[in-house]
Amino acid sequence: MKNEKIEIKEGINFHEITTNKFKTNLFAIFLTLPLTRENVTKNALLTAVLRRGTKNLPSQEEISKTLEEMYGAGFDCGIEKTGDYHTIKFYLEVINDQFLPVQENISKKGLELLFSIAFNPYIEQNAFKEEYVEQEKENLKQIIEGKIDNKASYAQERCIEEMYKDKPYGLYKYGYIEDLPNITAQNLYEHYKEILQNCKIDIFASGKFQEKIQDIAKNNVEIEKLNPRKTNLEIEDKKEERPEPKIVTDNMEVTQGKLVMGYDVLSNEKNLSYIAMVCNTILGVGANSKLFQNVREKASLAYTCSSSYIKRKQTVFIKAGIEIQNYEKALEIIKQQVEDMKQGKFENEDIESAKNLIYATIYNIEEEQDTEISYYFGQELANQNVSIEEYKKKIEEVSKEQIIEVANQMKLNTIYFLRD
Amino acid sequence: MKVIESLKIKEKVYIEKLENGLTIMLVPKETTNKKYVMWATHFGSIDNHFIMPETKEEVYVPDGVAHFLEHKMFEQPNGTNSLDTLMALGVDANAYTTNNHTAYLFETTEHFIEALNELMDYVQHPYFTDQNVEKEKGIIGQEIGMYDDDPGWQLYMNALDCLYKENAIKIDIAGTVESISKIDKDVLYKCYNTFYHPSNMVMVVCGNFKPEEMLEEIKKRLIEKPKQGEIKRIYAMQENSINMPYKETAMEVSMPLFMIGFKDSIEQENKVQKHIAIEILMNMLIGKSSMLYQKLYQEGILLAQPDLDYEFTNDYAHILISGQSKDPQKIQKELLKEIQKQKEQFDEAHFERMKKKVYGDYVVEYNNISDIARMLLSDYFKGINSFDYIEQFQTVTAEYTKQILQEVFDEKKCILSVIKTK
Repeated sequence: MKNEKIEIKEGINFHEITTNKFKTNLFAIFLTLPLTRENVTKNALLTAVLRRGTKNLPSQEEISKTLEEMYGAGFDCGIEKTGDYHTIKFYLEVINDQFLPVQENISKKGLELLFSIAFNPYIEQNAFKEEYVEQEKENLKQIIEGKIDNKASYAQERCIEEMYKDKPYGLYKYGYIEDLPNITAQNLYEHYKEILQNCKIDIFASGKFQEKIQDIAKNNVEIEKLNPRKTNLEIEDKKEERPEPKIVTDNMEVTQGKLVMGYDVLSNEKNLSYIAMVCNTILGVGANSKLFQNVREKASLAYTCSSSYIKRKQTVFIKAGIEIQNYEKALEIIKQQVEDMKQGKFENEDIESAKNLIYATIYNIEEEQDTEISYYFGQELANQNVSIEEYKKKIEEVSKEQIIEVANQMKLNTIYFLRD
Repeated sequence: MKVIESLKIKEKVYIEKLENGLTIMLVPKETTNKKYVMWATHFGSIDNHFIMPETKEEVYVPDGVAHFLEHKMFEQPNGTNSLDTLMALGVDANAYTTNNHTAYLFETTEHFIEALNELMDYVQHPYFTDQNVEKEKGIIGQEIGMYDDDPGWQLYMNALDCLYKENAIKIDIAGTVESISKIDKDVLYKCYNTFYHPSNMVMVVCGNFKPEEMLEEIKKRLIEKPKQGEIKRIYAMQENSINMPYKETAMEVSMPLFMIGFKDSIEQENKVQKHIAIEILMNMLIGKSSMLYQKLYQEGILLAQPDLDYEFTNDYAHILISGQSKDPQKIQKELLKEIQKQKEQFDEAHFERMKKKVYGDYVVEYNNISDIARMLLSDYFKGINSFDYIEQFQTVTAEYTKQILQEVFDEKKCILSVIKTK
């Protein structure tokens, strides 16, 4: 396995990951911009409109047919919130040419198709096709309304929204219905052109290639058209301790209550992300964690109880699905687990098993093509170049004292409860 | 060991049937650092009525017992839980229960031997007490509650209710709070002793290892068990007709969910070919590039390509097409119209294109070891060699596919399940 990064132009990078583990080659293009209330809905809508047609393949039907002819190449695009950034992601997966029933070169075709979807959309009179924009507005509206369908993720979203009120991270990645009426085929296209001039662009190719895939990218006509750009994505988000946690309750028809608690980790420690990862794993990842053992197994209070650490935001979320009448009891036991972390009430074996669990996820990075791309993209965004071996070593070095110190910087910010 | 190979995708499976009846399937892969192990018994939620091989006793067990047993297998006499022990090693371990099998599995890069020790120890040593069985009822009760709130699960259960009047597939895998209340340790031991015999089990290992060495590692950890005869399973009689054409439930969802089903007859001979043909047909009818999908998308009736599934075992077979839409009835109506159209005028160019797509889908299945192992396992319980999907691919002709279209996509066997908004 080998990861090579070349700068095509300032602000536009090509990353080639050479691996023989897969039957497929995977290409990805990421357009990264700051997350703002003004643009959040436009960006989400744009993602949906771009997939509708390219200059040469002006309809979805034609794009689909082309993909099917390439042995069902998988295409996907979507929008992600990574910390305070908004990233539009395009993926295309093709069977590696050596596993095709007949000789063909579909990898090159695949990459070129992906470029044209991202950079050469179907345009009519200096605007996107009106019909596409209107249909996608309707679809996006339904996606936003559909937020309530999965109660667990809805509760998580609501907790984030309340905890990060009026801040970029508190925005919903698909945006807001109230913005939709003001978006037109013209102003969306203007927005797209502006993005193309300024956003950070990362192109990934993972797999094994017969020819120099970098050159195909570099010499692609769509890429040649792009201008160099300065990409400054630094956003300041100063954290302050809340004197009393914010408590929010929503009512909906549910049989099981969903509890989400958001903690800030107020620390400037250099290796915070590694320490916090171990700390969070002991607290709430997997069957050995304090939350699973004490909330689910010993108290039988919940079917699920876990925590997750959001590196970019230095936040720990604890989630539990509980019976509604057990709210107070669950809250108390969960808080006690965090308190125990602060008091250092955990064993060296707990640290070891947490580290083992993290090592397993580290080993897994290279075993999945999209995970590997995401890992290197994360490094790119953080302006780091931590190899997988170094990453493991950083985890190895985390000590009990450091974990206790970080646990003591965990401050409860928001308690959210979804109930009937 | 018997070796089967696919030259097209460059994979091999080593198969050994041990004297005690256990089947072992090994897929060595040098390019990965991981190993993935699954040990499964041919015992699922539909096996609620059977004759025990030794005593010839006819037994009815409460619904949800296979799943309950799965939960309890991890518990050890010394108070530890095998799942925790494996997790502490950084080994990703899990278990699941389906309609027809229960599987215990783990995946790891390091600590393989310790993990194999633990897996083969806990699956071979059940430990059930009145107390630990009682406690589990609370946890499983919560899990059932979770399913009750899940619109996707309710949609599926309603579809099965439409398709079958009486078929054990309709039983909720986890059972109901009422049915699991009847489970006690004697029931669990009875099921364990019957179904967890090596002759009723299969082990699949995929990843970085040498097949001969792996076979030895497995063999030396097996405990001896007396031979066991065949377990006779009693299932409800097959009916040809559907139970009811439509069922709906109102739940708190933003947009209705729909599942269109076609009941199929059970195929004994050409299971793989039929499966390939049905996959091609589903894609032709309502896949991404189909006229019907494009039309419904433009009208805002479909937002994304529906999920296309063909589920079958020796006891049931049906097609399920599902998604979200503000107008499920219209989708069903238009789909039936489209089927009629294709029956009258079959689009061969479209067929060839979808055939390529379906081939690609099968190859992608071999991208990771967990998908390979799971595929081999579930195909094994259907009596299928997974490579046949790649090897028999070219034999699926337009002629044959047309015939399947005529036989299977029958309006009289079509049902619609809907979760509507409140």
